Amino acid sequence: MALLDKFETAAAIRDQLQAGGHDPTRVVMDRIISPTEGIVEGRHTILAGTNNYLGLTFDPACVDAAKEAISTQGTGTTGSRMANGSFAQHTALEQELAGFFGVPYGMVFSTGYGANLGILMALLNPGDAVLLDADAHASLYDGCQMSGADIFRFRHNDVVSLEKRLQRLGDRARNCLIVTEGLYSVLGDCAPLKEIVELKNRYGALLLVDEAHSLGVYGNNGSGVAEAQGVMHEVDFFVGTFSKSLGAMGGFCASPHPELELVRYVSRPFIFTASSSPSIIASTHQALLQIKNRPELREKLWRNATRLYEGFKSHGFEVGPEISPVVAVRLGAKEVALPFWNRLLEKGIYTNLMIPPASPDQHSYIRCSVSAAHSEQQVETIIEAFSSLRESI
Amino acid sequence: MNTRYQGTQDKISKLLASYLESSNHPELEAHGEITGETNLVSDFTMDSFQVMEFMMELEETFDIMIDMNSLSNTHTVSDLAQIVSDELERTAK
Repeated sequence: MALLDKFETAAAIRDQLQAGGHDPTRVVMDRIISPTEGIVEGRHTILAGTNNYLGLTFDPACVDAAKEAISTQGTGTTGSRMANGSFAQHTALEQELAGFFGVPYGMVFSTGYGANLGILMALLNPGDAVLLDADAHASLYDGCQMSGADIFRFRHNDVVSLEKRLQRLGDRARNCLIVTEGLYSVLGDCAPLKEIVELKNRYGALLLVDEAHSLGVYGNNGSGVAEAQGVMHEVDFFVGTFSKSLGAMGGFCASPHPELELVRYVSRPFIFTASSSPSIIASTHQALLQIKNRPELREKLWRNATRLYEGFKSHGFEVGPEISPVVAVRLGAKEVALPFWNRLLEKGIYTNLMIPPASPDQHSYIRCSVSAAHSEQQVETIIEAFSSLRESI
Repeated sequence: MNTRYQGTQDKISKLLASYLESSNHPELEAHGEITGETNLVSDFTMDSFQVMEFMMELEETFDIMIDMNSLSNTHTVSDLAQIVSDELERTAK
């Protein structure tokens, strides 16, 4: 096979996706109007698939902080922190994040993907064992695989399956890492962290929780699912991203373990990536303040999420197992889901299409992410658009 | 055929047939008998999700753990039988 022949598979996938009219992986927003509105193909479109849970991308305080940082610190850092130095704002944000999770140590990465690679590749070596939730994000899979550790999956959110694997590990369980997420990004279901923590303690394992989709959304302080379930102090490593509720781009890890400070010396994704630009650090700092000081954002988000979830259900759609800011509608075959997604886009509703093998089971889903910035009318419009296409399935 | 894991291979073949039947794989009938040379991906167009799901079934059936890293070189039922047999031997020690 010639070197470039391997792309024939990708071409077939592309052709299949484009057969419906629009390629779901290549939607272009010609203009962004607000956290919840844009112009797509000349149409005014409600954005219901952007993970902008708190709508902070246009928050005046965040925007001003970013502008100010550009004016006073420049557009970029032009290098990695290890080789080219940190800005004071990087280290300040690390301390803020640590405090946000109630732990002493924090570390900032340039992307969420990089944070997961960087932490897992540093924590795990060949010969170590990691127990990974089957529905974990690709960045967690990739980090585990690139570490060279032995990877064992347990069934999604299934503590019985997890315990079986801890038992099978025998003595190795005492030294293994359990990897899970707080809120899962496709079905919008939460990990049973209380039960997982109980197992981790019983078997002497360590626990890493990815709060990428739950930060700013769950818990009285918005720290995530671990806070909401009262087990924050039991988590060994929190990881997450700035690119969802925080409205910017970047990743982090926070931990009670002082060894996190040593990860800087061994984490290749940290060492060899240019550091986040001043505007990103500044707007993220401001977004954290917004999360702390404006609980009303979360209240609005949950009102919208509840209405969308209940609205879909009342029209006979099969939705995820619990109400959350991620609302996924199960449509079964991709031959149904692809045209459904296309018709929604044509009606001015942007959502996310999830089809096998990227979906967590063999079904296809239309995934919506709700925002505190969605108006009640926008939520009703989304429900109406889905409802109008109900007969097509 | 390596007789060391013939029994394991037969069991895996039955489990695979049952898994494919439950997930409505159209190729099952046309393929006929599942043998050691049966290729999970090219014979049955199993995607990565399905292959990993089937691994979990094997883990439960044989009460073992299969390292995900071992799957990159696993293509046939015979490859699988070797992994399972090795793991059974290791855990028996």
